[in-house]
Amino acid sequence: MTTLSVETRGGSDRREGIPVMTVRRVRKHFPIKEGAMQRVVGQVRAVDGVSLDIRRGETVGLVGESGCGKTTLGRCISGLLTPTHGGIYFRISDEQESELDRVLAVADDARTAADRRFLAELDSEHRIDTMNSKARHVYRRNCQVVFQDAFSSLNPRQLVKDIVARPLRVYREASGPELTERVVDLLDSVGLGRQHLYRYPHQFSGGQRQRISIARALALDPEFIVLDEPTSALDVSVQAQILNVLHELQREWGLTYLFISHDLGVVRLMADRIAVMYLGQVVEQGTATELFEHPLHPYTEALLAANPDIHADPSHRIQGLEGTVPDPANPPQGCRFHTRCPVATPLCGWEVDDAVAWLSDSRDLPDTLSGVERHSDFEATLAFDDEASAAAVGSRLASDEVPAAMAAALAEVEVDLGQVRIRFTERQPMELQEVEDGHLSACILHTDQS
Amino acid sequence: MVDVPAPDSFTVSVEGPWIVRLRRLFDVSRKVLSNPTTLVGLMIIIALLALAALAPLLTTPNVPDAYQMPRDWGVRDAPPGTPDHLLGTTSTGGDVFYGVLWGARTSLRLSVIVVGITVTVGTIVGSLAGFIGGKLDEILMRAVDVLLAIPELIFALAIAAVLGPSFGNIIFALAVVFWVKYARIIRGQIIHVKQNEYVDAARVTGDSKFNIYRKDVLPNSITPVMVQATLDMGGIVLTAATLSFIGLAEAGLAEWGVLVSDGQAGISAGKWWASTFPGLMIFLWALAFNLVGDGMRDVLDPRTEGR
Amino acid sequence: MTIPVSAPQDTMTTTPPLVATVQDLRVYFKTKAGLVHAVDGVSFDIRDRETLGLVGETGSGKSVTARSFLRLIQSPPGVYAGGRILFWSDEARRTGAEPVDLLTIPRHQLLDVRGNRIAMIFQDPGKALNPALTIREQVAEVFYQHRSEELLEGAYGDASLLIRRAAGQRTRLAERLLLRLPPLRQQATKLRRRVDDHVAAALNETQIANPRKIMDSYPHELSGGMKQRVMIAQALACNPDLLIADEPTTALDVTIQAKILELIRQLQERHQAAVLYISHDLSLVRQISDRVAVMYAGRIAETGRTEDIFHEPLHPYTRGLMAAVPSAGHTRGRLAAIEGTVPELVDPPASCRFHTRCPHAVALCGAIDPELLLVGPAGHQVACLAYNTPDQLGVDPSALPDLSRRTR
Repeated sequence: MTTLSVETRGGSDRREGIPVMTVRRVRKHFPIKEGAMQRVVGQVRAVDGVSLDIRRGETVGLVGESGCGKTTLGRCISGLLTPTHGGIYFRISDEQESELDRVLAVADDARTAADRRFLAELDSEHRIDTMNSKARHVYRRNCQVVFQDAFSSLNPRQLVKDIVARPLRVYREASGPELTERVVDLLDSVGLGRQHLYRYPHQFSGGQRQRISIARALALDPEFIVLDEPTSALDVSVQAQILNVLHELQREWGLTYLFISHDLGVVRLMADRIAVMYLGQVVEQGTATELFEHPLHPYTEALLAANPDIHADPSHRIQGLEGTVPDPANPPQGCRFHTRCPVATPLCGWEVDDAVAWLSDSRDLPDTLSGVERHSDFEATLAFDDEASAAAVGSRLASDEVPAAMAAALAEVEVDLGQVRIRFTERQPMELQEVEDGHLSACILHTDQS
Repeated sequence: MVDVPAPDSFTVSVEGPWIVRLRRLFDVSRKVLSNPTTLVGLMIIIALLALAALAPLLTTPNVPDAYQMPRDWGVRDAPPGTPDHLLGTTSTGGDVFYGVLWGARTSLRLSVIVVGITVTVGTIVGSLAGFIGGKLDEILMRAVDVLLAIPELIFALAIAAVLGPSFGNIIFALAVVFWVKYARIIRGQIIHVKQNEYVDAARVTGDSKFNIYRKDVLPNSITPVMVQATLDMGGIVLTAATLSFIGLAEAGLAEWGVLVSDGQAGISAGKWWASTFPGLMIFLWALAFNLVGDGMRDVLDPRTEGR
Repeated sequence: MTIPVSAPQDTMTTTPPLVATVQDLRVYFKTKAGLVHAVDGVSFDIRDRETLGLVGETGSGKSVTARSFLRLIQSPPGVYAGGRILFWSDEARRTGAEPVDLLTIPRHQLLDVRGNRIAMIFQDPGKALNPALTIREQVAEVFYQHRSEELLEGAYGDASLLIRRAAGQRTRLAERLLLRLPPLRQQATKLRRRVDDHVAAALNETQIANPRKIMDSYPHELSGGMKQRVMIAQALACNPDLLIADEPTTALDVTIQAKILELIRQLQERHQAAVLYISHDLSLVRQISDRVAVMYAGRIAETGRTEDIFHEPLHPYTRGLMAAVPSAGHTRGRLAAIEGTVPELVDPPASCRFHTRCPHAVALCGAIDPELLLVGPAGHQVACLAYNTPDQLGVDPSALPDLSRRTR
């Protein structure tokens, strides 16, 4: 097994190593059901269009706050969830990857028969939700997971030996005393020992349980491990131990990691490249150095500004963000971050919901509002019980107090008796585009989003 | 290699797996029995089981079917303390002591069979609903909801009445009625357990769905079922006694409910023993299993188990 | 010879007055395995308008210490085994009265302190707010409990009845009928309105955008950050002298956390309160605290001004902890981790609790309890034998640990 040493990668933005995971336009939506008949009334768009490459030997960090979709994406990549759209491909070659990108850029009805054949072949051999059983076998052996919660990721009724030996048993790799010895070897490599074989999980501390989890993940000598917040629930000193273990193992075993975390410091330490997620999409992607030293997207900047850093200049005060994350069932059009962005422009995708929220927060939305008729995300009619309210709201919307960016995007405010019609300029959703070599951003300030 | 952490205070041992497993069982049992009322319940159960086991040795039937009360027209309505009849006799000359002992056997047979069937059927149905989920879950659970809406006693009574008075029919009726709650119990547990990450870990390992059910889901869902089964051992006998008291069992059966019913008429005339001793047995049986079941419930709460 | 233990109050005239002082606090827990020494001789001061950050990992005893202020520890299995927590309310300081010992004052006095003079906010706002009450009802409770005279100003009739009814407490049927009579009804309505105003004002202070709308909501309808603001509003409603914050932002996203911290800072200034901030997050504590106390295994390892501690950590544990925190300054690679794990705290022998993991430990460290010594300016204290002189302990100089030498 050829391994590429980690040193050659640090700081370089050329991606070496063959592709291990190729994620293309993945969406994962969860239906919202209501009522006795469980009608589907909407979709929670947990992951909403993510493309990502993970190459051999590297650690890709996936960062974001709660609700951004990083855990869901991790579960899709590890095969626990099936994407609603898009595809996740395992071990395709560089050439196949370029070809895939080319074909995906072509509209479905314009694809040739050769294109379709290519896609079908890729689906059966490499796409994790449609692969044939032989390919699936290989994928399953080579893609493992370490979960966040050390308590609930180990079966409380099984002995440590059975837990770690399970993958070996499932694939019939070994049995009897040979199996026991292999388990002991695995425990050794994570810093545990033979004396831990016949114990139950509850007899161990959090850090030790994570070590057991890691040992289990290593049992089949996999190529790729998804680490979903592996140290978030641990004390600082224990976290340091576990991160060191993970680091050592990566070097010795030639592992590729997808490291999911909300902690920027940890991700900086562990990852070569980082993707920042917000509300189901990747907003910025690049090498760890680039992201921390020259962040492009305002959300990345906000994350960095809010992150208390122990070694930073003490006079640097952390700064938060206004507002809350929008409803993932109804994400904003245009840029998803614009509702909280400190540098939003008129072209960021302002819409009806923003105007209503602004009126409501500044207490200018009177109780006499009888209904909102949405013609589209950008156009709606607000109906009031009396004309006076409508007039008041109308003039408020036309006044100077409306935030500049939103005001510039507000194309029309029309008051007609008891109704106010508002219309914003329509915008398309933002796309992640390359700004510099390997450094991508989805912000209009750096990319062309016409 | 990697940093080896300082040795912990509790893990230096090289015991084999089976010793460790036994030790855990032992620890749990000890915790259950540390409660004095549970201990009392267990002792009563042991005594009752002893009575049931020793029935053939301590008494002799005088009719072909040992489970029928003996008839001895010569000693009708003898009070307790009569020679050869420790607890007296019934109005048909049956030995009350005989009835108590063989009634224990009957109750044991009854409860083991009924609880065995109900737990098995309920677990299968509940597991299918909880583990597979989806439409199957919906259909099964609607059926369960409907069945649970019928009061258990009335339901069993109706079935037994339709089928005709016989103890076998009582067993059948109880089995048909009492499995439903197990389905709901285990389905709830399974849905909860499925959310644990060790189930995800097993899936990622590539193990088959059945193995995941067998090794990860079922063992961690089964404790409430065990508690309920214990409680039902007592409750089933109580219900059966009720049904046979009303007359749904064959007359003359060595069963506590039948005995209580037969002896009823004599109470006003002062012949209390024919009903009271069997009645007392019913009480003790139900009490004992309830005490043990409650004791188990406190210790085996899945949320605190093994911590 | 005595060794000075706490920072002398008279070193600088600019030292703010004391709000609370913990003296040799010991809190133990009875378990099957024995007596767990969760807090084992902890002493520190909290001064007016100052934020003291109490930092420690799991098992350090920081939460137990915080909860002891309001006697919130469950009494079996917890035991207040020693020490005092002296508290000076604003009023006491003004009038020059004696401090009270929070651990021994009678219950009715304690209830007067809770929520009123000392307030506490908790880690999980979802669990700390009653899911069955609206926000209005929740926050109003504090006013009914502690500000009833103020609310009833100008009222006549049976005032306590009004309060009880409005607070949702038990009233007899006859009393309820009485309340229906117009004069009392008017009073009740006026009272409700006044309370509403107070609640809205409290919520407003925490920068909640539309308080009246929030007041009618239930906790589950609000986001985490919003719930935390409500809890803060409730805590500060009665203008307490001391606010105890037990990891209030651990459950929040980092961008919301920053806003909440900013809020706490602002409100502290406005209310001129002291804050005891508990956290496991060193980097966070650095942001918000004026002074820091680092706890390990039930004891204070080091305490002092924030900048002194972070600039020049003296205790080996503090140093280890800081090296173990990954920060944006680190690049790919290893962290200097502390080996081993926190020891069992059951009937521990006299020793430095950290000696089993300390890279500089010597035999003496396993035999004596180190005392907290004043070593640096502005009250910088450490509990490590390396800072004792041989005379203080009556030993040979070679027996003391040497921080420039690693023994493991």
